[in-house]
Amino acid sequence: MVDFLQALVDGVMLGATYSLLGLGFTLIFGVLRRLNLAFGPTILVGIYAGSHVGLAWPGALWAVVAATVVAAILCGIYVERCSFRALARQAPVVSMISTFAVWMQLQELVSLFEASRTMPYPSPAWLPALTVGPILLRSDALLMWSGATAIMLALFVLLYRTRFGTAVRAVADSSEAAALMGVNVSIIGAAAFLLASTVGGLAGVLIAQSQQQVTPYFGLWATVKGLTAMLLGGAGSLPGAVAGGVILGVVETQTLWHFGGQWRDLASFALLFLVIALSPRARSEPTL
Amino acid sequence: MSDYAVSLLVRIGVEAFVALSAYLLLVIGRVSFGQQAFFVIGGYAAGIATALYGAPLAVGIMVGAVAAGVAGALLSAVMAPVGGIYFAAGSLAFGELVRVALLSFHYQVPVGADLTGPAGADGFRGVRALFTGGVSATAFMLAVAGLVALTFLAIALLLRSRWGEAMRMVGEDETASASLGVRVRRVAALTMAGAGALAGLGGGLFVHYVTYIEPGHSDVMLGVHSLAYAFIGGLGTPLGPIIGVALDIGLLESFRFLAGYRMIVFGGLVMGLLVVRPRGLLDEVAVHRLSRLVAWGRR
Repeated sequence: MVDFLQALVDGVMLGATYSLLGLGFTLIFGVLRRLNLAFGPTILVGIYAGSHVGLAWPGALWAVVAATVVAAILCGIYVERCSFRALARQAPVVSMISTFAVWMQLQELVSLFEASRTMPYPSPAWLPALTVGPILLRSDALLMWSGATAIMLALFVLLYRTRFGTAVRAVADSSEAAALMGVNVSIIGAAAFLLASTVGGLAGVLIAQSQQQVTPYFGLWATVKGLTAMLLGGAGSLPGAVAGGVILGVVETQTLWHFGGQWRDLASFALLFLVIALSPRARSEPTL
Repeated sequence: MSDYAVSLLVRIGVEAFVALSAYLLLVIGRVSFGQQAFFVIGGYAAGIATALYGAPLAVGIMVGAVAAGVAGALLSAVMAPVGGIYFAAGSLAFGELVRVALLSFHYQVPVGADLTGPAGADGFRGVRALFTGGVSATAFMLAVAGLVALTFLAIALLLRSRWGEAMRMVGEDETASASLGVRVRRVAALTMAGAGALAGLGGGLFVHYVTYIEPGHSDVMLGVHSLAYAFIGGLGTPLGPIIGVALDIGLLESFRFLAGYRMIVFGGLVMGLLVVRPRGLLDEVAVHRLSRLVAWGRR
């Protein structure tokens, strides 16, 4: 029972970052109705930038965070210009293939600037671990969860309590109707992209400080986790993406705890596959 | 012909099958990130047939294609009614499930002095039918090229038939084609089985050429690349994906002098191409103009 609870708590903490990745995916997919495969690789570039800054100025944690987020945002702007704005009148699938081309570029960019395959990422070592009864809360996991929760709260206030957020949700609901109501759809699209890149960069900081290192595979990993979190919650729903991320995290840590590491990915993909196979919504989504 | 050129051509041929497999699904409007799974299923099945049970090379490769085709048909039971982003994600999940499942797939049989067969994460070594059968690399390359040509012809004819018409209708609008009497599920299921068999054929050829296959070959990157090939070469004809593969592998090889910047240049080229020609080099309009040109030449 304690094992189950411990894995549950670990899963919720891990899942909070998956929720952030899922929210980033949902912001772009919900508003633009297009998939951004390069979402993970943009975060990867951010983390590498942060890692280099961390090596150059040890101890300057704020500089690491700033470098990570700024680099992720710059890459996000690049993706938006090349794969979305330039292809706005084409079928959505063309944008998706284009983001894949950007992905290859970003991946190569990262390998140009790295000395070794694995780069260290600083984490605030002074934070204490907490024990609540028999449950251990690791300091990096606690930071991951509290950081992710704070970002999500801020994001939900922005999206549900401001005029800007109402416009974003209106465009996601129906871009034609929003345009008729005087919303500038293309500016909202670009803003949603920026917002998603910012959320992605912050998620990157939280994940990288917990893992304390980063490899070039992070890009693929982040894209797959974000996509899974978004789809588990029903593509396009913001609260759904949060729930999807937490479910994914809990399923992963529970299988890790009870069955071992090699089943962890099997369980998460089996879950995604089952949800798609059984969901009636998947059968009524005609085009990509 | 140098060994290097032969190996390059075999690589182009093998990947052409996966690209054609992704192209078939694009015709019915399905974006798949999972064709690498069928490639690997075909490779394992073909390797098991020749290396473990002594089947002749041609039979083994057929077994691989049939096994992957059956896997495609089984998957279609679940995925045929699914469309859009859900099909893409479902096929991605399937591809990763196959990869993870193969990590713990052990099936070793004593052949001669030692054990041969799939050994989990260590992969499946010692598929030597090509060498024990005395097939030279050049002869194998020619056979692969012939198979690619035959497959191209078969798909081109299929797309001109009533079946191809039905497939394109499903790709355009499922509801409208169903109302005109097209059995959408059946078309989708058969296409998925055929696409699986094509990728499996590529896998069977691959495993015999390199004598080795491992779960890691079911790599999402292979699936996404094969999708991109159709968009580079053109969606208007099955020649498009083949041209896409040849361009990718050929250009990458000729970009060697760019060393670390290869992917940056290549990714930029693909991105620019999609802005200028969003349906690839040989899109429907280009194909139509070319065929008019040929017809005019004949007159």
